[in-house]
Amino acid sequence: MKRSLTFGTLESRIYTIFTVMIFSAIFVMQLVAFRYTVDTVRTTTIDNNRVVLQQLVKQIDSYITGMEQISDAVSVDPEIQKFLGSDSPFEDEGLSPGIQRTINNYIQAREDISDILIMRMDRSTLTSHTDDRINPWTAIQDKDWFYRAVEEAGQTIVSSSYVQNIIWGRYSWVVSLSRGIKSLEDGALKGVLLVDLKFNRIRELCESLVIGQKGYNFILDDRGNYVFHPTQQLVYSDIRVEPLGPITELFQEGGTWYQEEDRYYMVESSDITDWHVVSVVYESDIITEWKSLQLIYTLIGLILFLIVGMATNKVSSGITKPVRRLQDIMQSVETGEFRLVGEIKATDEIRALAREYDIMVTRIRELMEANVREQEQKRKSDLKALQAQINPHFLYNTLDSIIWMGEMKQSEKVVQMTSALSKLFRISISKGRELIPIHQELEHVKSYLTIQEMRYQDKFLYDIHMDPDLLDLTILKITLQPLVENAIYHGIKEADHQGMITITGTLEENVVTLEVRDNGVGMDSGQLANLIAGLQSSPEERSRMNRQGLGVRNVHERIRLYFGGEYGLVCRSAPGEGTSITVRFPACSGEVLQ
Amino acid sequence: MKKWYILMLSLVAALVLFMVLAVFYDSTSREITPPEGTVEIILKSNVGPAMDFWSVVVQGIQDAAREFDVDYEISGPRFEKEINRQINIMDSVIQKKPSLIILAAADYVRLVDSVEQAEALGIPVITLDSGVKSDVPVSFVATDNLEAGIKAGEEMRRLMENHERKKVLIMSHIAETATAIDRERGVRMALGDENIIGTWFCDADEDISYRITTDLLQKHPDLGGIVGLNEMASLGVARAVNDAGRKGDILVVAFDNAVQELSFLEEGVIHATVVQRPYNMGYLSVKAAADYLKGGTVAPLMDTGSVLITKENMFERQYQELLFPVSGIKK
Repeated sequence: MKRSLTFGTLESRIYTIFTVMIFSAIFVMQLVAFRYTVDTVRTTTIDNNRVVLQQLVKQIDSYITGMEQISDAVSVDPEIQKFLGSDSPFEDEGLSPGIQRTINNYIQAREDISDILIMRMDRSTLTSHTDDRINPWTAIQDKDWFYRAVEEAGQTIVSSSYVQNIIWGRYSWVVSLSRGIKSLEDGALKGVLLVDLKFNRIRELCESLVIGQKGYNFILDDRGNYVFHPTQQLVYSDIRVEPLGPITELFQEGGTWYQEEDRYYMVESSDITDWHVVSVVYESDIITEWKSLQLIYTLIGLILFLIVGMATNKVSSGITKPVRRLQDIMQSVETGEFRLVGEIKATDEIRALAREYDIMVTRIRELMEANVREQEQKRKSDLKALQAQINPHFLYNTLDSIIWMGEMKQSEKVVQMTSALSKLFRISISKGRELIPIHQELEHVKSYLTIQEMRYQDKFLYDIHMDPDLLDLTILKITLQPLVENAIYHGIKEADHQGMITITGTLEENVVTLEVRDNGVGMDSGQLANLIAGLQSSPEERSRMNRQGLGVRNVHERIRLYFGGEYGLVCRSAPGEGTSITVRFPACSGEVLQ
Repeated sequence: MKKWYILMLSLVAALVLFMVLAVFYDSTSREITPPEGTVEIILKSNVGPAMDFWSVVVQGIQDAAREFDVDYEISGPRFEKEINRQINIMDSVIQKKPSLIILAAADYVRLVDSVEQAEALGIPVITLDSGVKSDVPVSFVATDNLEAGIKAGEEMRRLMENHERKKVLIMSHIAETATAIDRERGVRMALGDENIIGTWFCDADEDISYRITTDLLQKHPDLGGIVGLNEMASLGVARAVNDAGRKGDILVVAFDNAVQELSFLEEGVIHATVVQRPYNMGYLSVKAAADYLKGGTVAPLMDTGSVLITKENMFERQYQELLFPVSGIKK
């Protein structure tokens, strides 16, 4: 847990570096993509807006064109020609109402026409409605539409938007189309035709085709005056200021759009009217979905980052997991347990590393085993040395006895004892072999018993009962003598009665069992426990124990060393009842185990 | 443990991304957050087309509300003289706890209590066209009526120079409304009290104005001119003068720009009219409300200005939209 949180581990280092790098990459990419998207959206919106704007201009144009067609038709109408040509037209009873009917037909066909008037050069005027009265307070000859129509005879004049006050009591916002009407006969200018269009229609067009919540359109004429502005009053009182300079530049020199603060201006010009329709779009309307766009980009970034993060994690743990396993196994060396790595899932390099490690560990294991064997050998040889040592007390006691018997001129006994001693040594040497036939071992113990019997002068008797099958089987040499020695010194010597040592041998299921039993003082439970503890102690502890039972322990240990832990000595004893020590070891002939 | 690592890093990354994008966005354009809540607008009169002035105010209100994303509700009494009714409306509007109230006070004094009550409840008030006798309103958007009155008075004085009878009377609309008080004061300042016969009130009713004028034309033979202080008063005066056949003989200076007034102006019955900018008034009051609600500073007094219109300049391009507002086609 702690390991992966510190920067020191391979995994966290790989992970952090990868993460930082990938994050930077995603970040830069997102930023670029976002910027690009914003630009694209803006450009697309502006392009779309231009299409809408062109649509608007086309509609205005077609509107004006429709009016022109009407004015064309009216100007060549024979009745009107007659009206204009006549000297006293209003006296001709049928003429005026006829023309008014014709004009009314046009007005009714096109609901966007507010009025059609025909004016003679003498200012007498024919209105479309009989009830309409010409405003007596206005000077027609000063009106733009009139004098320009007269000046440019024959041309259609399209006015800017204005309040028409020619009909008394009525003020209406119109755009006027006016033209001089020439006589079809002599081509002389006879009058002026005025077609007033309801400006509301253009207004509605401009206000319906807007972009977004706040966008608006306005119209400028060729001199930069407002034909229409949705908030004209703000413009005229300077509360809202449109950048007329750059806009004028835009339609004079061409260009797509002009940006001021958060507003985009686009201009589309109409050839028929010489008007310039300006469309205004607000930035906030262009990118309305900005918040969600931002959210989507962040989300994509987050998901990408999570996926890549997970992948990085997988990759880094793929590298470090086998390494960590290797590390764990290698740590087992510390505890003395040499575990092998074996086959692992990892890259080639790690696998090679594991293989080399396994080879190394195997070699170390072999070396250690060899070392252990050597140690055992050494201990065995130590024991040999030990057993080779003849208890010097025994030797000089025996020699004392011989001397004493010599002085007593008991030459027969001297010979008997000396030959027993000689046999004892010969067998105990036995050409350095460890294993000897059981009958030789019996010889050995008999020699010992002979010497002791003579020394202690009928203090004890001994009896040997041996399965005849046993005699040729092998035994670890000097197995019985220490047990007999123990029986004499710690059992019989202390007893008041004559002692009896019985040695029996049996063979059962390839296990040889020899028993040395005495009828001496026996051991109390404390002593017995001591002895048993001594048998089970390790060689290191043994050196710290007293010499009592040393011989017995040596026998036990040597048997276990040679034949394995399941063999060895078993002691039984009770105070006053003597002691019995049983030796168990596997039956075998010859020196196979050597 | 690794999950924790990833999660934390990812969250940090997302946060950084979001913040940077936000900063990035801010650098290209400022985001306009619309002010919260509803702005309650109480006008003096709610009659509609008959009172052109207020419908144009409403137009300005609508355009500004669209531009600044303001939610609004308009209410008001049917007629300007229904002062009690306006007080009732104001009180019920306060109960709705709007974010701001725009009030065109029908009475200079009697609305003070309501305005102060709104202030006590934390509702800011902006007065429009006619103020109240209180410091409470955060802004007052109106024509400088004193100046408008001076304009009217000075025009009358100019016209009087070639006129034999110099006496002038004032036809005011409502006695206690701020517009009437200021305009009258302005007229008196420009003409001098000695030239003024007196002030009459018509309760913003054209017929009353007509009757009073007809009566006064007979009573005061030395009368040379009449100043009408609002649309209704002016129309009554003009009609009375015209009907008495005294067009040109009695000089009339009017206020406002009803269609009939403009006809009278063309005809020569009315010689000049002082026109306010109701559209700008509506627009600027809502703009001030939006500014105030967004925490901006608002000028305590906004003069929307007035224009003197005569027969000569009435069809000039810059005044056409002012005099002949196109109403009823706005969305």
